[in-house]
Amino acid sequence: MLQIKEISKSFDGGKSYALRDVSFGMEKGDVGAIVGESGSGKTTLIRLIAGLERPDAGEIYFQGSLVSSIHKLVPPEKRKIGLVFQEYALFPHLRLIDNVTYGISRMKNKKARAREVLELVDLHGVEDRYPHQLSGGQQQRVALARALAPNPELLILDEPFSNLDAVLRAQLRNQVFEIIKKTGVTAIFVTHDTQDALTVADEILILKDGSLIQQDRAFKLYTQPKSMYVASLFGNTIMLDKALQSAFECPLNPQCCHAIRNENLTINTDCEYVTHAKVLKSTFLGNSTQLDLQLENGHRVSVITHERHIEDHIKIGFNSKDVMEFSS
Amino acid sequence: MMKQDGHKDLFSWKNRLKRFKRDNNRWSMYALAIAFLIALPIFAIGFKLFSGPGETWSHIVQHLLWDYTSNSLFLFLVCGLMVVVIGVTCAWLISRYEFPFRPQLEWLLILPLAIPSYIVAYAYAGIFDYGGSLELILRYFELSMTKVDIMNRFGLAFVLSISLFPYVYVSARAFFLNQANNLLEASRMLGAGEGQTFFKLMLPLARPAIIAGLILVLMEVLNDYGAAKYYGVNTFTTGIFRAWFSIGEPETAVYLSALLIVIVFSLILLERWERKNVRVSDNKSNSGGINRIRPARRWKRWMIFIPVFVPVLLGFILPVSQLIYWATLTADKVLGPAFFQLSLQSFGIALIASLFAVILATFLIYFSKWSPLPFIQNVTKIGVLGYAIPGAVIAVGVLIPALGFDKWLIKIGESLLGIDIGLIFTGSLVVLIYAYCVRFLAVAYNPIESTSQKVGQSIPDSSKMLGVGNAKTFFRVEFPLIKTGIFSAFILVFIDVLKELPLTLILKPFRVNTLAVKAYEYASDEMVMESAIPSLLIIVTAVLPVILLNRLLLNR
Repeated sequence: MLQIKEISKSFDGGKSYALRDVSFGMEKGDVGAIVGESGSGKTTLIRLIAGLERPDAGEIYFQGSLVSSIHKLVPPEKRKIGLVFQEYALFPHLRLIDNVTYGISRMKNKKARAREVLELVDLHGVEDRYPHQLSGGQQQRVALARALAPNPELLILDEPFSNLDAVLRAQLRNQVFEIIKKTGVTAIFVTHDTQDALTVADEILILKDGSLIQQDRAFKLYTQPKSMYVASLFGNTIMLDKALQSAFECPLNPQCCHAIRNENLTINTDCEYVTHAKVLKSTFLGNSTQLDLQLENGHRVSVITHERHIEDHIKIGFNSKDVMEFSS
Repeated sequence: MMKQDGHKDLFSWKNRLKRFKRDNNRWSMYALAIAFLIALPIFAIGFKLFSGPGETWSHIVQHLLWDYTSNSLFLFLVCGLMVVVIGVTCAWLISRYEFPFRPQLEWLLILPLAIPSYIVAYAYAGIFDYGGSLELILRYFELSMTKVDIMNRFGLAFVLSISLFPYVYVSARAFFLNQANNLLEASRMLGAGEGQTFFKLMLPLARPAIIAGLILVLMEVLNDYGAAKYYGVNTFTTGIFRAWFSIGEPETAVYLSALLIVIVFSLILLERWERKNVRVSDNKSNSGGINRIRPARRWKRWMIFIPVFVPVLLGFILPVSQLIYWATLTADKVLGPAFFQLSLQSFGIALIASLFAVILATFLIYFSKWSPLPFIQNVTKIGVLGYAIPGAVIAVGVLIPALGFDKWLIKIGESLLGIDIGLIFTGSLVVLIYAYCVRFLAVAYNPIESTSQKVGQSIPDSSKMLGVGNAKTFFRVEFPLIKTGIFSAFILVFIDVLKELPLTLILKPFRVNTLAVKAYEYASDEMVMESAIPSLLIIVTAVLPVILLNRLLLNR
């Protein structure tokens, strides 16, 4: 339903690119996540999809028709795309009911529809309040209700949980995506939190410096990352360089890079590749412990373990199925 | 490799043109049209330069230009020094110390801005005149002193400084209040004394703010006509008047105007360059404001009170007292139906002009926002330049196209109807209002722009995502949120129009009059006492909004 072809955008006349040759597609009913550090171009990408920015090259097709290109631009108000802004952007001078009916002023039963979506986001009896009278989490849900009211074909959420504290965040994340699944709307959300993406997205896109570096299902992205960058984005990763390879006596293809996830490095268990190590320092992290180790060949490495009782000398190891291989 | 080549192509002229076609909308055209309308007087002056100077130009260059230049330079130096010393001293003492009447003085120091400098000039002439207030008071106490003549460039510099220093005071104080506290505390923790903290730390940091205020003062100095004329000092602005209206040579007035524009633009460039060199970062983490020091000894607190009170005394209390005294003497003669009608006329003109200025400024801001072409944003900044250009120059720049257009209409009238229709636009209210808009668009632009920036981009964007177009979004969402900005813009322009003198003198229709012009006419006709009542009416109208302006600056 959404096709993006080699889209590029520069804000300084071609000196640098916010986005460069990004292409991807989304199927109807999917939930997609765009993941990247700040400055990676993720907000630019969704603003391009929304029609709020204009591409310097490339095309965007939405529901089979061309909406953005170098020749043509369908304005945002004609796209039937809902957008929930990072700062919610509720109209401060309007009551909640008027905020929600804002986009459906031509609908026949707009009041009823507004109440319906407010029910959907689990807000009752707040219609006559003003946005500043609500908590952050409530404002977020009103913003969602307002975006859903006109029945958009696509819903975009820009950093939807970044303004909330950790506890509320997890709770609201599940609630919001339950609602999205319930309505069956196609959705894209932007996040710099990989946990958000892994938990709720069907499809994940990784952006780095304006380029799309990988698009995959969550499980595949975690187990088969295409680059060291993607691998380390989703958890602690240990690079298997030459020194480590010799310590574990596991020769790997010298043409490629290799890495292993921290949790796959096990302590005092039998594995294909093992080595002995001396614990130089152990730092208590709460639910885990960071160990600075010196391996038999003198090489040093840090690992994180959930083991509570660690002796001074340990055996560590991993299995070949857990080794991730990248072409570069 | 193929892709690399493709990207070079991306910003080729061909592709730029394609995107231009896509992005060019009617809002871009409207914004450009408004910017052109505002810049037209300057273009007209530039264009008219090609037709050569008038006959007296060489005479002026030989005999008068040095006079204009040296007087203007003198005023720049003396006023510049005085406003910085007065403005920064007051701002620092007000921000740093606690002393008697400090909260009152904080806003009283802004009030001199409510009195146009030509009115201050009239008042001081009255104070120092033969048989003037000073002499009367001294005689009452049986004292005498040598006569002080202030009707010269020294007196003019004093009058301009004492009425314009609040520009520096306001911007320096805003800096001290908003930015400085944690730096001050750090300086204290490092063991620096008060003097060292001020001269080594605060003064250099406040430099961009001080210079911003100073530039406004210098522009007002160039703009002044009434005070210089009354004190008999030849400046560029009086020179423009003389060239056009006494000698009758518009071409020469145009050349002098062009010179003034060059001076003004150099000032603006100087300020930009200065700001680029020193980048004082915004200190957003600091919210508390300065913790004021309260000197333990009573006499010390009064010692701080004196230097802060004197500028208020000289810049507001004394001239206003003089005017009130005059007003009591002349009330019977001046007040009457004619004066009432004059006031109505003056307020009416100010009302219409500020309405138009506010509407134009709002259009300019929003049309350029709605244009996806990046360069439109820069072009619309032209609209703000009018405030830098002296009123007399704008009047000259407006008259040129107005006269040209009228002559063309006359020709058409003769050939089509066979009658002489006369000058239609020149000397009409339309041209006067247009010139006010050119001059004061920036005054309306800034408060509207800053409130619209506070609203932010995501609010209108979210309206668009809900299917509502630009214009409807403006009326349903943005207008309710920027109302206060629009209202303060309206008030500020209203006051400025009411006070405006040189531009009004040149462009006002024959039978129409304003309070400012009436005050000027009384003063020029040796009836300076009679000018007190129209002057006081202007001051009273201006005092309230000056306090409003203060609030705005504090909130910012």
